[in-house]
Amino acid sequence: MQTPTIAEAATLLAARKISPVELAQQCLDKIEAVDSKLNSFIVVAKERALQDARAAEARLMAGTTKGKLDGIPIAHKDIYGTRGIATTAHSKLLQGWVPTEDAFTVTKLAEAGTVMLGKLATHEFAFGGPSFDLPWPPARNPWNPAHFTSGSSSGTGAAVAAGLILGGTGSDTGGSIRGPAALCGIAGIKPTYGLCSRSGILPLAFSLDHAGPMAWTVEDCALLLQAMAGHDPADPASANRDIPDFNAGIGRDVKGLRIGVVRHWHETDSPVSPAVQEGINSAVAIWRDQGAEIVDVVLPSLYEYQAANFVILTVEAFSLHEPWMRGRFNDYGELLRDRMIMGGLMAGTDYLQALRRRRELCAVTAAAAKDVDVLVTAGAAAEAPRIDSIPKWTNLEKPGFTNPFNITGWPAICVCSGFGEGGLPVSVQIAAKPFQEPLLFQVADAFEKAAGLRGIRPSLSATPPHVAKGLADAGLNLLPGQLDLMPEMVAELAAGAAALKGARPYSQDPAGVMHLPVGG
Amino acid sequence: MPKTSLQDFEAMVRRTGVILTTAQTEHIYEGWGYIEPMLERIRAHGRDRAAEPAHIFLPDVFDAEKL
Repeated sequence: MQTPTIAEAATLLAARKISPVELAQQCLDKIEAVDSKLNSFIVVAKERALQDARAAEARLMAGTTKGKLDGIPIAHKDIYGTRGIATTAHSKLLQGWVPTEDAFTVTKLAEAGTVMLGKLATHEFAFGGPSFDLPWPPARNPWNPAHFTSGSSSGTGAAVAAGLILGGTGSDTGGSIRGPAALCGIAGIKPTYGLCSRSGILPLAFSLDHAGPMAWTVEDCALLLQAMAGHDPADPASANRDIPDFNAGIGRDVKGLRIGVVRHWHETDSPVSPAVQEGINSAVAIWRDQGAEIVDVVLPSLYEYQAANFVILTVEAFSLHEPWMRGRFNDYGELLRDRMIMGGLMAGTDYLQALRRRRELCAVTAAAAKDVDVLVTAGAAAEAPRIDSIPKWTNLEKPGFTNPFNITGWPAICVCSGFGEGGLPVSVQIAAKPFQEPLLFQVADAFEKAAGLRGIRPSLSATPPHVAKGLADAGLNLLPGQLDLMPEMVAELAAGAAALKGARPYSQDPAGVMHLPVGG
Repeated sequence: MPKTSLQDFEAMVRRTGVILTTAQTEHIYEGWGYIEPMLERIRAHGRDRAAEPAHIFLPDVFDAEKL
């Protein structure tokens, strides 16, 4: 059975067409069957999951369900603290650490009745990856396991796309929710800074860190965010305000809205692939057909946001890790340590200048977007590259499309907008003004439903590991439909090869032997 | 290639207190070439002297009654 969305599963559970225990077991079976190819889980908490599922089932039978998330299988990025369950940040430095408290958002999701399946791979401390020198391998893209997931919420992106979980948590300091959402073909929202508490989540950079959900659809992200959002006095940046109904705009069109396209970001500053451009064009056409007004918006160059984001991020991260960087430098993976030390090399004035630039960028962005409801650009420049082809300084060579909304703190979501030449997904990114998540979900959902791409899942189960490896070794990028044919073709080829192997005289020459002189 | 000389860069590394091998220093020095243009971007070229940073100190956050 194909993994349902959270909204579909809630309907099935309410109608008692499936039980929470059956749903959890289905996910556990799928993890067992395919996660050796994806490495999306660091810990599978089977007993905890079944315990949660049985509790949800008891509530269902008693008519005391907690809502649409009751009985829904999820998992947490492994920087979210989980009481009694190891939390590693995918790092040797935290191997074996078991927190005594849940993160605030972990508690909130548990209180909503979710079933916790375990902990998910991340780039080390949500920054360095993909790394092959850590205690656990990096997560791989379910659309083609030879390819990258992006990061740092890499395990969540892979597990949701593969249908191993219905939703999960991520964190986003420069794009770590939206990057994996873009490359894994799912939906992922970085909410407004301060909407979701970060207490109990291992920090990367205090002033840029955001917690948020990732799921197969926009609607599912809205359902998860409803449980995650809320004031937490333990997080100094937590916003103390009423939480709106994030599903209020789901299923509505965008008639009358003004949508600003930041064309120069994806056409000039960091030109995108034809498939990404086509996806943005398709989204714009759908919104225009629904009655939205489309306008161009000009903002500072992506390089301006990238510079401020990188300086602030690395200085804050280095300040956090300074004792370990000094004492246990070689216990970090190479990618993380070589990127993070940059923050230690910068001067105090560099950090403060970046903060001053940040304030200017916030003001300019707000002024330029004054007359529009949302901003639109790419989620990533192209479909996922091969995981073994990521240069160490990849995030420095070209600016990403996600940094501007970490700098401004505005909510932003990535949604699947099509597929590239290699058959892997591409994405469009939509951003709204602070605390306008209901409007953001409305615009994203209107595109997602009209685009009709949510019926296409990775065909991972049809590609056995030996076939996937053969394809990867040959450097072949097949489309999902072509991948489906591969196991049968490989079996026929193997049978044919076996038939040719028979007992022959030791000295029998092949048909093609070399003759000298040729043609003589 | 960074504008900072390798010798100056090694001094910067020593200031962090992180002990690196020669090979590690050279790898990271290569990456520093990507950082220098970023630092140039965020420095104050004609910025208003009074332009405040994004984070300013808010004393009422530490009001004992609100803690």
